[in-house]
Amino acid sequence: MPNLGELMANLISALTNAVGSSSMRLGAAPTVGILLVLLVLLSLLARPLARWSAADLGQLTRIGRAMALSAESGADATVSLGTAGVVRAASATDRFQTLGSLPLLGHVAEAAARAGVPLSVTTNDPVAALFAEATLAGAHRRTATPERASASTVEYIGEGRALAAAAALAGARSHGLAMVAGGLAEEGLLLLDGVLGDAEWSVAGTASAGQAAGPLLNGDGSLIGPELLQAGGEVSASGSARAVVLAANRLIWTVIGVLLIGSLVAWAGGPQVAAFLAGR
Amino acid sequence: MRRSLVTAAALVSGLLVLLDLLVVNPSLGEAAGALNELLVLLVAAAAVGGGATLVAHHLRALASGGDDPIGSIVLLVGMAAIVVAGLRPGSSGSSDPVVLWLVAALLAPLAASLFALLFLFLLRAVRRGFALRFRETAVMAAAAAMVIVLLLPIGGQAGEWLTATAGWVRAVPLGGVFRGLLIGVGVMVAISAARSLLTLDRDDE
Repeated sequence: MPNLGELMANLISALTNAVGSSSMRLGAAPTVGILLVLLVLLSLLARPLARWSAADLGQLTRIGRAMALSAESGADATVSLGTAGVVRAASATDRFQTLGSLPLLGHVAEAAARAGVPLSVTTNDPVAALFAEATLAGAHRRTATPERASASTVEYIGEGRALAAAAALAGARSHGLAMVAGGLAEEGLLLLDGVLGDAEWSVAGTASAGQAAGPLLNGDGSLIGPELLQAGGEVSASGSARAVVLAANRLIWTVIGVLLIGSLVAWAGGPQVAAFLAGR
Repeated sequence: MRRSLVTAAALVSGLLVLLDLLVVNPSLGEAAGALNELLVLLVAAAAVGGGATLVAHHLRALASGGDDPIGSIVLLVGMAAIVVAGLRPGSSGSSDPVVLWLVAALLAPLAASLFALLFLFLLRAVRRGFALRFRETAVMAAAAAMVIVLLLPIGGQAGEWLTATAGWVRAVPLGGVFRGLLIGVGVMVAISAARSLLTLDRDDE
């Protein structure tokens, strides 16, 4: 009968064998770099060191008032999660924007739940629809308004970017508040025009660099580039979300510093810092 | 399900995929692969469920006399046509000639026609942009006009100068702005990914 010592020995042996049969996928420097970034993130997430005063990105603070006006006028609210989805054949950065827009959807859903405004969410990805449903359910749970949950709907409109734009144009009508947030491509302007249309108040955001003009031109509030992902931290009142924004700012300054120093070093004839960091 | 269980599952899954990214290990690779297969299954189930929900939604709209019965009928007939063409006996699925014809003769022209509207909607968006925020739209319109002038098909010395200037504008100022945006997006994606991995949301504050 094996005793505790043998069990421990077998466990240690299994761990040692697992470590022995492993190798670094990216090389030492990039692996340490990735872990260092994670360490910095974790330390900042766990212990914010300074107070962060957030700007009103995309004029999101006006959502509450717009929702109150919608409730008075009997209008509804609508949100589109862009066209990249979560599991569609789009780039990882585009698909991540869908995840990044979920906190914004939660913010709008909470305002709609408090004001009693019907909210409809459209997406062209079934998994994003599942996430949106969970987000709406969470908003009604947090605001203690389960009786209004039936007024909040999520609609999967089918597969395809062109389809999303066509559905938005075909179903265009006036809303009290309209928001488009997520990855967009060439169809972005059509989607924005169809969804935002004649809304009393509209917000549009995308981190797709090539589609920055669409939200700027069409939305009353705009979230361009990193702002779409940063806004998720802005809409929260306090705590770790602000630490995330703080961490983002520090990392941005760190990246800028590395870029400048690396450029100066390379210009002065020194080693190529980029090649070292990329493990090449 | 308890929230802590969901959090633990998300954390373990995320760390497993992250470890597989950093470390080459057969067992780790198999575990991450199994997770990916589960994800594919989830996507397939969600796609079937999403399609069924779409059909049910439009059937309900038809039954209750919704706002757009013609749209619902067109959608249902279109879905039925593609499904029948791809699943009928003897069909080769998505590569079946009937499916390919439906895509090439109906879907592709429809999509192209839709995208052809972009020019008109751009003009409308510019007009709306001028009404909402004059300064930013003016800068954008001026830049667009400058690029159009630079890309004019003019020959001779003037044409060469315009082409060289257009190349410089694309490579230096536009390239710089794009890189700046992409670096910012990349950093924020890392932050948001860490937030998702740690399942931090407002409930934790």
